[in-house]
Amino acid sequence: MEQATGVLRGSTHDDVVLESIQFNEEIRGIMAPAPAPENASSFTALLELPPTQAVELLHSPDCPAAAREPPCHVSTNQKPYLLCSYGGNLTFPSNAALIERAAKFSVFAGENSPPEDVARLAPVAVSGVVKNEPQETDSNPSSTQGCVSDPAVDTKNQKTAKRKEREKKGKGSSKKSKSVADECSGDGEKLPYVHVRVRRGQATDSHSLAERARREKINARMKLLQELVPGCNKISGTALVLDEIINHVQSLQRQVEFLSMKLAAVNPRIDFSLDSLLATDGSSVMDSNLTSMASPVMWPENLANGNRQHFQQQWQFDAFHQPLWGREEANHNFMTPEHSLLSYDSSANSASLQSNQLKMEL
Amino acid sequence: MRNQRSVKQEFLRKWITGLRRYSCDEKKNMSFLERKKAIKLSADIAMASTRDKTTRWSQALIANASSSGDTLTGSSKNNSSRSRKKMLMMRRRRPKVKSAKKEMSASCIAKRLVQKRTRKLKNLLPGGESIDEGCLVEETLDYIESLRAQIEVMRYLVTASQLIINPYP
Repeated sequence: MEQATGVLRGSTHDDVVLESIQFNEEIRGIMAPAPAPENASSFTALLELPPTQAVELLHSPDCPAAAREPPCHVSTNQKPYLLCSYGGNLTFPSNAALIERAAKFSVFAGENSPPEDVARLAPVAVSGVVKNEPQETDSNPSSTQGCVSDPAVDTKNQKTAKRKEREKKGKGSSKKSKSVADECSGDGEKLPYVHVRVRRGQATDSHSLAERARREKINARMKLLQELVPGCNKISGTALVLDEIINHVQSLQRQVEFLSMKLAAVNPRIDFSLDSLLATDGSSVMDSNLTSMASPVMWPENLANGNRQHFQQQWQFDAFHQPLWGREEANHNFMTPEHSLLSYDSSANSASLQSNQLKMEL
Repeated sequence: MRNQRSVKQEFLRKWITGLRRYSCDEKKNMSFLERKKAIKLSADIAMASTRDKTTRWSQALIANASSSGDTLTGSSKNNSSRSRKKMLMMRRRRPKVKSAKKEMSASCIAKRLVQKRTRKLKNLLPGGESIDEGCLVEETLDYIESLRAQIEVMRYLVTASQLIINPYP
């Protein structure tokens, strides 16, 4: 009763108990025909409704209750997020059976996987704490557990709280609702709190949150790197993965050096590629095309063609295609980058454009 | 990721332009090593310019090349010097933390190993010393991709020129 309403409000009024009781009765009256899974006598069942419906129900009662809605930032578009924190003036629920039922609802919600936010809210709501003053850190499960172990509460509360913890961990949702809090505040409702959902045992101050966000970002990028570098998938552990990455980068750089050395060795002049390629006669290169490493030579051939016969491009390219494509099936992977170099599709116009562009640039 | 084809095309185009510039400027015959250096440099610059200064390693590469008095990077000198100054300032701003204590806990050891390797990676990357760890991984990703594309194009060029010279192996 008080517990449920306290969760609902999240504001700082002290004299709210009477009004909360009243509100709760109103809710109960509304909830009776509601399509909640069980006989919904607690607020948590309300949470299992779709958000819009819940909002309707919440907003339908009279002003004193509705006026307290904004702090709960239940908006039609937004998912209702609830605060969970500890305070001094709590009145813990005396009805343990209610709590147990609520816990069951929340578990049930978790199994059914209703709108995710609702399901996530259920455990928070049922943990049964009232926020007394605006605080920055909240929804700390350890703190709730500390609250729950209040001497006024019997062991059943602890059990349900533990169940909640397990469920929370089982869901594995360590989602930070910081961004949602931002968009909530951007909604026009003034929220003095940062709503965060954290895993058990993790701190919730802003620094650690930022740290965690940064770490997660870095970890995601590291995973990408692992996929990129061959052989890194099976390795676990940052240091070894970094080792592999370093080796890979070093080997790539060495390859570049080696290839540039080879290029310098193959040709006596520095502008080897252009002159020699442009001056190449078609026939001699054509023969070599039919041998193994033929595909890369098509490229200089195309350059030459592009230079000389602008209008007979298409014709020539087609003629090229016929004899070579049949033979170069095996070197297909070689073909594609070569073709890509000159956008060498069936549309020979683009290829000619490309080679002409090259010429004009030079 | 980026379109690999277009990247390779762009790279090839710029590289050939750079090589051309070399041959036009210096009529004398260059030694083997000089040529190799010129080829590699023009290739690196071409690869870096395909990134269009969106990544830090490309900026650093161009900056280093221009600082060494290379003729190819004439127009980009101003930009690169500005970026270099920025990078130097960044380096100065970030304080160097030297941990003097010698904890032997497992997590500490692991952290130290990772730090060592991160430093090594930073040294490998052009302009990597002044990158913070968050961007380091991104830059490495980009750099590896670019290197791969560069190597592929160079390899094809090598085989092509080899075949032209010796058409009948």
